[in-house]
Amino acid sequence: MTSWVDASCIIIVFLSLIVLSNYRVAAMIRVFSVQSFVLGLLPFFLHASSISNQDVFIAFVTMVLKAVLVPSILFWAIRHVSMRSEVKPIIGFSSSIIFGAMLIAGVFWVSLSLKLPGKPVSDLILPCSLSTVLLGFMIMVTRTRAVTQVLGYLIMENGIFLFAVSLSDVMPVLIEMGILLDIFVAVFIMAIVVNHINEEFEKNTASVSQSKMGETF
Amino acid sequence: MSIVFLILFHWLVVLLLAPFFIGVISKIKAFFAGKRGPSFFQPFFDLRRLFQKNSVYSRTTTWIFRSAPIVNLAAVLVLSLVVPLGFLKAPIQFSGDIFLAAYILGLARFFIICAALDTGSSFEGMGASREAFFSCLCELALFMNFITLSLLTHSISLSSMIGAGIPVSWKLMGPVLLLVAGSLFIVILAENCRIPVDDPDTHLELTMIHEVMILDHSGVDFGYMLYAAAIKLFVFVGILIPIIFPIQSGNPVADMLIFLGGTLGLSVTVGIVESTMARLRLNRVKNLLLLAFALAFFGFVVKMWRM
Amino acid sequence: MLTLLILMPFLCALGVFLPVSKDFRLKLFLVVSLCHGLIVASFWKQLPPGEYHGFLVLDSLGLIVLSIISFLFSSVSVFMIGYFKNEPRSNRVFTACLLFLLSTMSLVAVSYHFGLLWVAIEATTLFSAPLISYHRNQQSLEATWRYLLVCSVGIALALLGTFFLAIAAHNVHTLLLPALLKGASSLSTNWMKLSIIFFIVGYGCKMGLAPTHSWKPEAYGQATGMVAVLMAGALTQCPFLALIRISQICNRAGLTEFYSSILIVSGLLSLIVPAMFILGERNIKRAFAYSSIEHMGILVLGLGLGTVGLFGALFHMINNALAKVIMFLTAGSVAQKYGSSGADEVKGVIHIYPMTGVFLIAALLAGTGVFPFATFHSELLILNAAIISKHYFLAAIGVICLAFMFIGIGRIVLGVIHGHPKEPVLAKKENIYMNAAIVVTVMLLISIGLWMPLPLEKLIHNAVTLIGAVYGTV
Repeated sequence: MTSWVDASCIIIVFLSLIVLSNYRVAAMIRVFSVQSFVLGLLPFFLHASSISNQDVFIAFVTMVLKAVLVPSILFWAIRHVSMRSEVKPIIGFSSSIIFGAMLIAGVFWVSLSLKLPGKPVSDLILPCSLSTVLLGFMIMVTRTRAVTQVLGYLIMENGIFLFAVSLSDVMPVLIEMGILLDIFVAVFIMAIVVNHINEEFEKNTASVSQSKMGETF
Repeated sequence: MSIVFLILFHWLVVLLLAPFFIGVISKIKAFFAGKRGPSFFQPFFDLRRLFQKNSVYSRTTTWIFRSAPIVNLAAVLVLSLVVPLGFLKAPIQFSGDIFLAAYILGLARFFIICAALDTGSSFEGMGASREAFFSCLCELALFMNFITLSLLTHSISLSSMIGAGIPVSWKLMGPVLLLVAGSLFIVILAENCRIPVDDPDTHLELTMIHEVMILDHSGVDFGYMLYAAAIKLFVFVGILIPIIFPIQSGNPVADMLIFLGGTLGLSVTVGIVESTMARLRLNRVKNLLLLAFALAFFGFVVKMWRM
Repeated sequence: MLTLLILMPFLCALGVFLPVSKDFRLKLFLVVSLCHGLIVASFWKQLPPGEYHGFLVLDSLGLIVLSIISFLFSSVSVFMIGYFKNEPRSNRVFTACLLFLLSTMSLVAVSYHFGLLWVAIEATTLFSAPLISYHRNQQSLEATWRYLLVCSVGIALALLGTFFLAIAAHNVHTLLLPALLKGASSLSTNWMKLSIIFFIVGYGCKMGLAPTHSWKPEAYGQATGMVAVLMAGALTQCPFLALIRISQICNRAGLTEFYSSILIVSGLLSLIVPAMFILGERNIKRAFAYSSIEHMGILVLGLGLGTVGLFGALFHMINNALAKVIMFLTAGSVAQKYGSSGADEVKGVIHIYPMTGVFLIAALLAGTGVFPFATFHSELLILNAAIISKHYFLAAIGVICLAFMFIGIGRIVLGVIHGHPKEPVLAKKENIYMNAAIVVTVMLLISIGLWMPLPLEKLIHNAVTLIGAVYGTV
């Protein structure tokens, strides 16, 4: 099953790159959803022969929360038309792709000197998870839309989770659930704030245009 | 003598099969649009119709314009000789033929672009400039993939790069080949003017890239252009197939079936992509191509890292 | 007992959503805070036993943090009764979030597992975010957004650090603190170092250490005074507690030198940066926010400077919290009276509101560490630690930065106290609840400064022994 694990890791990084290069928020959310789904599948590949009920449960919760609920919250947050596409990123899309590729190369180079103790199932997990974290960070820093920044945060979290699946025995289930719940609530609150910001923005622009109309007429 | 025979047979297969897969793609697209669509052999009929016509030349054009279609067709035919087509070994193989392939492609493109400029129409000039820009980016990704493949197989001959070494590489370097395949797929779409990059059916001046350059070609010349495009797609698919379906049974009939099945599958995939995706805005195309490059580069990085 | 401490506010927070009156909610919050305070006070006599297989344990270090939290919530709950007399908006979400915050902060203080600690700290971030945007105008929403984003990213990095720690501790197979301390010698050094870096960056974001401090002036500037008190005094202590827990492990694992050198650098940075920005500031709350960054720097510095510094840091945790109560409650009451906290709008406080004016002076002195206030002593202790461990340069820069802070804050506060308002302000009556909360805190801070009670000294000594810092590290 190692090859499946490898493939999943690569796909997760690849999907982060796609989010980095995309400008339609809806498409980004869908890509994120797919990424979370792949992440949820990973435990099945990792412990293919002897998967415990606990792992199945966590994988299932991860999938439901991250691949279904979080995207739908985000879709709710962008129901206003003005939020649908990313405009004027701080670093342009093309340059971010190049930067992203370089980042990946850098992470792989650094990870040569980091060795996971014990015998990891796949040596790709560590560099891929760090790459995903950094790509998510880059999305968050270089994009201007609030929703896109949330997506960056979520991709970062996915990267961290990719790392976490390789060491499932340290965290008790309850705490893993707590971590997932925290992230879910975080997205929920972020979506609400995004929504408020948007409403406030629309209210302001509306009042500005009204006052301008008052001046002209 | 046998090499001549092999080359001729290779060409025969290419010339016969290439338009057929264009027909498959159109059929799939029609199916997704809820139509019955033309027959699989419609491209052959189109070509026959075009070959029966005369070409019309503008008075401002020179010999470059007239030579471009022929050079283009000749170039892709030569290109097809270095690509193994499943059951057919490549008739021409030597160390470094990968560069021949790349620059033969470049030659064809050079002539098409020159011909487009030769017409003196600003419209075609625009297409030429777009083509030049995008193919630059495409080449970046293509070469990155070639580098990775040659590192994987320790060879710079196309036949062995996508030959016997691939099944072993899938075992050891699965992720790398996955990335290469993904990247090559985007390159195929871009090089052959398929939908997310360019729409072969559109005639809207703002969005066309490739199509706009060959607007002034007519009759036989246009037929050559279309035929060359079909062969190019076929050849690219032929490069990708051994990477995706690395099964070599040794039995020629089984190999042929695998190859044809793979090509058919890939054509269907292209058709589905074309039907489900919207054409990208022109200024976003470069992102897609850069993404292809990033994938290829990622593959290269993983390869170097896994040494 | 510990479960009760966490569950009681949590359940009451859910109860707030029932259809009850505004006053009832305030009284509920007051009662819960005071009960919480009583329970914590009972712990001073006898530490409670651990619960849930050692996941929840209260040690003397946790007790310090818990006491701070409890005191801050109690004084805020008293202040709030006065504040909401003049506030027309509903306080349902506000009170609920405060109660949730109390619950999660208590959880931070007693959690003995690094995963649980992370969960609790992230939860404090989430529940404090809606508090900042209480006024729900564009600036406060932007401040909330920045706070949420910076802290979430920081906390995410800390999560990565937690996982790195798990890898470093692959022989121990758990992240429970006692087990980690026991197996400290078997931790893998490289992974431990990586994890330390991520912890400091991550929890440093949450503490508001420079250079990730940018959310602080925004958030404290936009939040109401009470929320700013809780954030500056209690919320920032939670990640600091996490850093102390790490230092516990580092001291056992022989990584003290590595850890403290990073702490000293980031602490120094957090001293210098606010000292540079404070001089251009024209808003009371924002100026106090810079002061908070400065104090975080002092805390981290103290943690990095060995035993004496550690004693100072723990003492400073308490003093800083009390000073923040004075500063932000006063700023909050000024902001409510004038409808702004900008130094250009607020003038002549001492003429119109003599009590508040006096409090502002107390806030200035407490915040900048001037003699009878206990902040003076703890800062002196840390300075002393720097000199003992031969960091003369560090000590010099620290003193200069503190002087700059004094000038910067003094300029704003004194300008606000004196002068004449542009438009005549109709003086409203000062509220007894609001003033009572501040007066009690001022008295407490001065009295600790004059004479440190024996139980407190013993508690801090116990905590220092618990952490087991090695003296004179670098």
